[in-house]
Amino acid sequence: MLSMQGIRKSFFVVEVLHEVDFTVDKGEIMGLCGENGAGKSTLMKILAGIHAQDSGDIVFKDTVIRRNATPLEMQRVGISMIHQELNFLDELTVAQNIFLCREPRYPTGLINFGRMRDDAAAILEKLGEKIDPKRKMRDLKIAQKQMVEIAKAISFNVELLVMDEPTSMLTGKETKILFDLIANLSAQGIAVVYISHRLKEIIDVCHKVTVLKDGSLVAVKNVADVTAHDLAALMVGRDVQETKASDFAGDPDAVALEVRDVSDDLLKGVGFKVRRGEILGFSGLVGAGRTELMEVIFGIRKPRTGRVLIDGRPITIRSAMDAIRADLGFVTEDRKETGLVLCRDISENSNYVFWQKTKGFFKRKKTSAANAERMIDRLAIRCSSPAQNVSNLSGGNQQKVALAKWLLSGAKVLVLDEPTRGVDVGARQEIYLIIRELAAEGVAIVIVSSDLPEILTICERVIIMHEGRVTGTLAASELSEAKVMYYATDV
Amino acid sequence: MEAIERRSENRLLEFIKGIWRDYSVVVVFVAIIGICGAFAPRFLRPENLLNILRNTSIVGSIALGMTFVIIAGGIDLSSGPVLATSGAVLIFLQRMVNADGTPVVPLPIAILACCAVAISFGFLNGIVITKAKLPPFIVTLAVGILARSITMYVCRGATIMGNNIPPFTRIGSGSLLGIPIPFLVVIVMAIIFHIVLTRTKYGTYVFAVGGNENAARYSGIKVDRIRIVTYMMVGLCAGVAATMEMSRMAAVAAATSGAQYEFEAITAVIVGGTSLAGGRGRLIGTIVGFIILGIVNNMMIMLNISPYLSGAVKGAVILFAVLMQRRER
Repeated sequence: MLSMQGIRKSFFVVEVLHEVDFTVDKGEIMGLCGENGAGKSTLMKILAGIHAQDSGDIVFKDTVIRRNATPLEMQRVGISMIHQELNFLDELTVAQNIFLCREPRYPTGLINFGRMRDDAAAILEKLGEKIDPKRKMRDLKIAQKQMVEIAKAISFNVELLVMDEPTSMLTGKETKILFDLIANLSAQGIAVVYISHRLKEIIDVCHKVTVLKDGSLVAVKNVADVTAHDLAALMVGRDVQETKASDFAGDPDAVALEVRDVSDDLLKGVGFKVRRGEILGFSGLVGAGRTELMEVIFGIRKPRTGRVLIDGRPITIRSAMDAIRADLGFVTEDRKETGLVLCRDISENSNYVFWQKTKGFFKRKKTSAANAERMIDRLAIRCSSPAQNVSNLSGGNQQKVALAKWLLSGAKVLVLDEPTRGVDVGARQEIYLIIRELAAEGVAIVIVSSDLPEILTICERVIIMHEGRVTGTLAASELSEAKVMYYATDV
Repeated sequence: MEAIERRSENRLLEFIKGIWRDYSVVVVFVAIIGICGAFAPRFLRPENLLNILRNTSIVGSIALGMTFVIIAGGIDLSSGPVLATSGAVLIFLQRMVNADGTPVVPLPIAILACCAVAISFGFLNGIVITKAKLPPFIVTLAVGILARSITMYVCRGATIMGNNIPPFTRIGSGSLLGIPIPFLVVIVMAIIFHIVLTRTKYGTYVFAVGGNENAARYSGIKVDRIRIVTYMMVGLCAGVAATMEMSRMAAVAAATSGAQYEFEAITAVIVGGTSLAGGRGRLIGTIVGFIILGIVNNMMIMLNISPYLSGAVKGAVILFAVLMQRRER
């Protein structure tokens, strides 16, 4: 149904796609994977009409698409794309967002809100989703927003739907609903292109998979013929070692951080301990209160009750600075929102906490620069220089800068919230390696992750939360996806 | 072969673009001086150039502080009225004399009082903005209106004359080694501010707070404190500006002293390439920015253009400046 032939695209002088071919049949679910920067998004943005290819043809349903087609033209022929970062007008209603720029009108030109709501409700119903079209977008959960985005795509009588990392914000249950929906769309003859870093999902949901590497096509395979491991190897062009974590072997009495009885509106008497050198995981569904718990520990959220002990001594944490003084570190979930100052350079971003821990009014350029250089070396941050703006780095390298900030601060307890979200396979392995090194040096590590394979790969012990409570604790040796899901859903 | 040539050509282009991006304001500055000299040869006379520097220094002083506020993601619309209020304090203290003609309050004390009043207004702005979490635009607008009204009240709406005697008058009208004292003051302030902005932790935090307040907070930076200090800095600048303005006029006009100065200062900052979105900016840009504005004013007189058109020209300069600095998407 869709055939893209010999697509080339350059940005400035760098060619990012080298004569890539990409085909999708009617009703087919085609996975698309590759490391960050492999060209997946660029290829799909060309398909969605956001970028124009330099050369090559796009044929859809036996019609050649003109080279400079706009996103709206693409949507009219039946190609829609759901972007990784959802773009909504938060203050408008669900219905208004679905029919943005295409609102049904009265002959007078005024918008027919009644019909718009009814149409929106009909589409949402088709998706089996109970969302009131009159609700404002900002009141919805992320998973619901995702559904609205799909509803919007379908409202165009879509025949080919591109989804870019649709599950990165979803919980396991919501992901399952999404997969059912994709299968359903496919059964109706709608083709789906599914972009994801989570290879297991691609294997689970897709019929075929296309692998890109450095802007070139590497392989097109039937998913029945490959494993996630094979795909990872194709993507990075080498064999990826998937190691499984073993149980914590250090001193069980060397408790670095103890948290007791934390309660607020969401959390209900949560407590845990993490030892020096231990890698402790927090699993659970989105909304289980894991991030909120970490924010309490770090002084960002004020709890009703709760105590924090560092090395057995109770301390009071009222602000991030108190936490920093107690040698805590917190690599946050959303590096763009809370982790990095994107418009500043690597050197500044990695020194912010360091500067606060050192005395003096001036920043001492030499020390700061040496710090940054050391981190670039140690974490293998790929950049032109420490003076490069963080906004120009890839996701994986940005994450490393966010990490560098806390390494330089000398954190003895390091909390990492979704440490590899939006990070490609290669950089992900590097980050795991760094985490293991830190643990070996005696840093107590707490990892919050919604990515189960990640938890299995790296954590020596896992605490599972459900709706503000700890529902289970598992050592690495007892760990399995099924057991974690069992506690996470608290059935 | 062709590809290589194209690449090198592109590299040259990139280089020129880079220069333009970083120094566009300087390039425009030099061009403006050249053009002005061509149109009005009198413009290039040293006494005229020095006069421009003297005239721009008052707004320039405010613009220096304003740069900090804007980089931290804020804005201050109260600087002009605050200049008037603190200026009134200075004039009231300065005009009090004993029977033998000696001042009741020594001049340095009067100047310190003037600056203290201006800094207090900055503190008020900062504390309300950060603690009540209100938009700086609204808070400083309100504080500005308040400050103007206080000035009108204490002056009964009139112009109050100070003692037109040196050394008071020398501050605004005198020269040192041929250079106007107000400009020397501004340059000294600019150097100190530049060091603070680029060399100290505080300066870096100002950028961080303007660039991403949340990330700054999660890094343990005391965001509120950083913000409040930027407003106190622009307050101090307004106090210094008030001292120079009062000294030149030897009077405070309740309704018009400092009127529009806040907008002139903001204009200078924007023309200088500092982003109103925060997180980006440079003091050298601001300096060039306010001198460009001074040149525009001066040329209007040189070329005998109606003063009513000065707003039109300045508006055009702002639009041109931001168009040139528009970041590539």
